[in-house]
Amino acid sequence: MKEIKAALWMEILKVRRTKIFPISVYFFIFIGIMMGFLMFVARHPEIANRSATISTKTSFLPGSDWNAFFDLMIQLVLTLGVIGSGIITSWNFGREFSDRTVKDLLSLPVPRSTIVLSKLIILFVWNILLSICFVVTAIISGLLLQVPGWSGTALTPFLVTFMMCVIFNSLLITPVALIASAGRGYMLPISFIILILIFTQLLFVGLPDLTFWFPWALPALFSGVAGEALPSPGYISYLIFILTILAGLFGTIAWWRYTDHR
Amino acid sequence: MIGDVIRTENLTKHYGEIHAVETVNLQIKQGEIYGFLGLNGAGKTTTIRMLLGMIRPTRGEAFLYGEKVDPGNTDLWNRVGHLVEIPYSYPELTVLENLEIFRRLRLLKDRDVVTEVMDRLHLGRYRNMKARNLSHGNAQRLGIARALIHHPGLLILDEPANGLDPAGIVQVRELLTDLARSHGVTIFISSHILGEISRFATRIGIIHEGKLIRESEVGQLKRSMHRTLHVHTLNNQKAREILTHQGYTSSPLPDGSLELPDEPAISHPEKVSALLASKGLPPVKIALDEEDLEHFFFRIIKNHHEQS
Repeated sequence: MKEIKAALWMEILKVRRTKIFPISVYFFIFIGIMMGFLMFVARHPEIANRSATISTKTSFLPGSDWNAFFDLMIQLVLTLGVIGSGIITSWNFGREFSDRTVKDLLSLPVPRSTIVLSKLIILFVWNILLSICFVVTAIISGLLLQVPGWSGTALTPFLVTFMMCVIFNSLLITPVALIASAGRGYMLPISFIILILIFTQLLFVGLPDLTFWFPWALPALFSGVAGEALPSPGYISYLIFILTILAGLFGTIAWWRYTDHR
Repeated sequence: MIGDVIRTENLTKHYGEIHAVETVNLQIKQGEIYGFLGLNGAGKTTTIRMLLGMIRPTRGEAFLYGEKVDPGNTDLWNRVGHLVEIPYSYPELTVLENLEIFRRLRLLKDRDVVTEVMDRLHLGRYRNMKARNLSHGNAQRLGIARALIHHPGLLILDEPANGLDPAGIVQVRELLTDLARSHGVTIFISSHILGEISRFATRIGIIHEGKLIRESEVGQLKRSMHRTLHVHTLNNQKAREILTHQGYTSSPLPDGSLELPDEPAISHPEKVSALLASKGLPPVKIALDEEDLEHFFFRIIKNHHEQS
């Protein structure tokens, strides 16, 4: 217990002192505000008509009420969550190698597995925090801009679905941590995230039947934003998802424990 | 064999075709300052990383305090402080925060150890300075401070004098000597400068191309360095004839003076002087020249090459 407390203290201090932490928070808040603004424009198409870009952006919105807004927030967190969690994970693990600080974390009374675990816990919490910043800002901006059709009863199921998607995305950081460790830096995991995003989009568009087998598609399948054409994920999807997380977790621990740190 | 603080048995590391470390056997006792000497790429850092469990040996084993080095044996590191190559700290954290991290990771309850080690390494005035703004020398001091924070019984240091100015080098040397002599700390220190390491090490091991090619006490090492007697007279040719007649071996140097490599001349230069004076050729200069430590180091390496 002492070991994990010490390791968590270290990780919290490093996150607090880094610029990427406030930048990530401001970025998610900004996106939340922009969501509200987008809904506002959807309600007032005369504003959008003056700008071709904004007009294009609002044209894909299913509507301009709170139900459409909730759907939009879930769609956005599915993509933004993968990017956000991927980048902060790449940074947290990759920086130990690019700053060459990892060698000082290896021969200590605190086991290497504890260091890895504390990093993943902090990243999980960080990712949840970013999503909360996003959703709270988006809801406040929606209320301020008077998006019509507010319903307190619709809020709870939305928040449950939203947070479940966030949790799924936040758990999927373990394979990114493994790739950042094995790649000893930022480039490989960030490339991996881009590849995952492209692959997920291709699957949904081109090969929807295979989405059940792809762990990064689970949050979208769970949320139902993919439409009624795709049913909810089955046991196999959850099993593959859990195995992917565990493979990432134990793979990262094993990598820190057994590889040669030259 | 708990008597040895460090013991390696046929410690070997291969990277494919490259034999980074080959069958290195070390036995280092408590309180020793063991200088591990080698050129760049000789295998010093690889050996140190194997001692610290950062690299798995291809063959052989390493033991610290009689316990086998293994990443899972975390209790072992309570007794070991280390510095591997250039120390890198978290750049966005201050000196104090960087040390506080390691106080906690070493599970030390006493908060004063941070201030104590900062004072010891003269880092107190930089306590609130971010590590990224430290000079190279102070960054090195911070690395050494991290290694010392928990008062370890064994220090494994990889070229700790790197980046330090002459005053810093003397300071670190005095600190390490004091730790070994007054507190019985065992020190394993690598370097590529024999002159520096021989000033305070008790024993030297020379590693070359992954192999431990020589190991001896510093005193013994100094005794095996080449020494010659240099004599200069007003007539060196005649002086050489006199010396040869008396059984001394001598050879002329480019400046005309004579070099006497034999032990009788080296041990008793006064006899050589008296002999030449009695023959009417008193030396205008007579001096005992000792081989430079760095030359000695290179000669050992060269001899090893020739033998192999």
